Amino acid sequence: MTYQHRVFGVALRMLGNAAEAQEVAQEAFVRAHRGLGDFRGDAKLSTWLYAITSRLCLNRLASGERRLLRQGEDALLRLADGAPRPDAALERSELEAALQRAIAELPEDRRIVVVLRDLEGLSYEEIAQVLELELGTVRSRLHRARADLKDKLERFLP
Amino acid sequence: MTCHEAREGLSAYLDEALAPEERARVEAHLASCAECQRELARLRQTVALLQRVQPVRAPVGFVDRVVAAARPRPWYRRVADAVLLPLAVKLPLQLTAAVMVGLLAVYLFERTPELQRAARQEAPRPEAPAESFADKVTRSAPAVQAPPEASSPARTGDERERHDTPGLRDTTPPAAAPAPAPPAAAPAPVLAPRPETGPAPEAKTEAPSESVGATARPETESRPRALERGAEPARPAPASPRLAAKRAPPSADVVARVAVKDRDAAERELAALIARVGGSVAQRRSEEDATVVEALIPQPRYAEFSESLTRIGSWRVEAERPDLPAQIRVILRLQ
Repeated sequence: MTYQHRVFGVALRMLGNAAEAQEVAQEAFVRAHRGLGDFRGDAKLSTWLYAITSRLCLNRLASGERRLLRQGEDALLRLADGAPRPDAALERSELEAALQRAIAELPEDRRIVVVLRDLEGLSYEEIAQVLELELGTVRSRLHRARADLKDKLERFLP
Repeated sequence: MTCHEAREGLSAYLDEALAPEERARVEAHLASCAECQRELARLRQTVALLQRVQPVRAPVGFVDRVVAAARPRPWYRRVADAVLLPLAVKLPLQLTAAVMVGLLAVYLFERTPELQRAARQEAPRPEAPAESFADKVTRSAPAVQAPPEASSPARTGDERERHDTPGLRDTTPPAAAPAPAPPAAAPAPVLAPRPETGPAPEAKTEAPSESVGATARPETESRPRALERGAEPARPAPASPRLAAKRAPPSADVVARVAVKDRDAAERELAALIARVGGSVAQRRSEEDATVVEALIPQPRYAEFSESLTRIGSWRVEAERPDLPAQIRVILRLQ
């Protein structure tokens, strides 16, 4: 269970809500346990867990309820801010809050890539495997995400 | 390479994820483009910021919940847990259960006349266990014994002898033939008595001397109605027979005991009598000390049946339904 924090972290960054993140992370482990027989030795266990978690998060984000919430910038910001109060786990500092907010505002397909790359430290190849994407797609999405974050975090840059 | 092309590769360049020749081209462009150098620097700083993000930790207890959810305990563990309650819980539970079962058994026995009858019949001396029940019936309906007494003065002696049999020991003494003329039959709505055979008036005074007879008495006096034998069984039950009726097994309308000298002979006579009144024998069985006959008697001829029965033996009603149906189910115990 050494992966618990990583799986939970990805879910929290993706969903911006600790309760939901916990739900998804738990579900990810349950599925991983059930599907252990299908686990192929050629992939790393961590990659496999990331794949399950990412899929669960993206599915949840794509579900109707979520989509309604994110119609319009206001809803998006509310979600990012975690209004009325952001999750205590995330708001360690102003920078932390700004980062979380900037990440939350990214489109999901870019958000997952930047989370896996810059927060979780996966290689491009691993991300391509986790998300079942072409390497080029991973690269371009990551670049877009970073460029976006760069603009949003301008004031924190030296 | 244009700035736009170069910038597309900057992110990968940072990550050292570019193919060697692509990387060389990006580096060539950077060397000549200050703007793209600045862009690269901002990107690098952004990534550095991101990497400073504190890793989040799963909440306390998360692992336990996951383990619990991921590994449902094997069935035998769950069964064992369910069965093997701690003693502190189990013992009071079991004790309570035992007490409840006991109470239920008593309750069912009380409420089920068949069970009581079965218990009585299985008892070694049928009279002993029946005593309380029989006594109650007898006491509440003292006239039960009266009819034979009063009915056939011609055979009084004979009847009296039979009455003195132990089975009837607690009945009214023969001299105290229970009731006065018309009301005499009244306390005996239980059994079609012979109203026409009015007992001696002097008996009147003696019957009430028995304590229970006294309770039946007001009933008697308050109902000095004409006593036709046909009407008798159908009559609404006075208080005392109702008590008996409550005890009557639902399968039978009348339960009676007949004291006879010769069971086989009595049974033959009984069969003939049942046939004569148009009834039928539903069932018979022999027991060690009794022959039990269950018969169906048409209600209009029940009085005739009960009267004739006295010629077979002296009989005593143990239980009777207050409202007798058209086909009266009679259980007779010849002994």
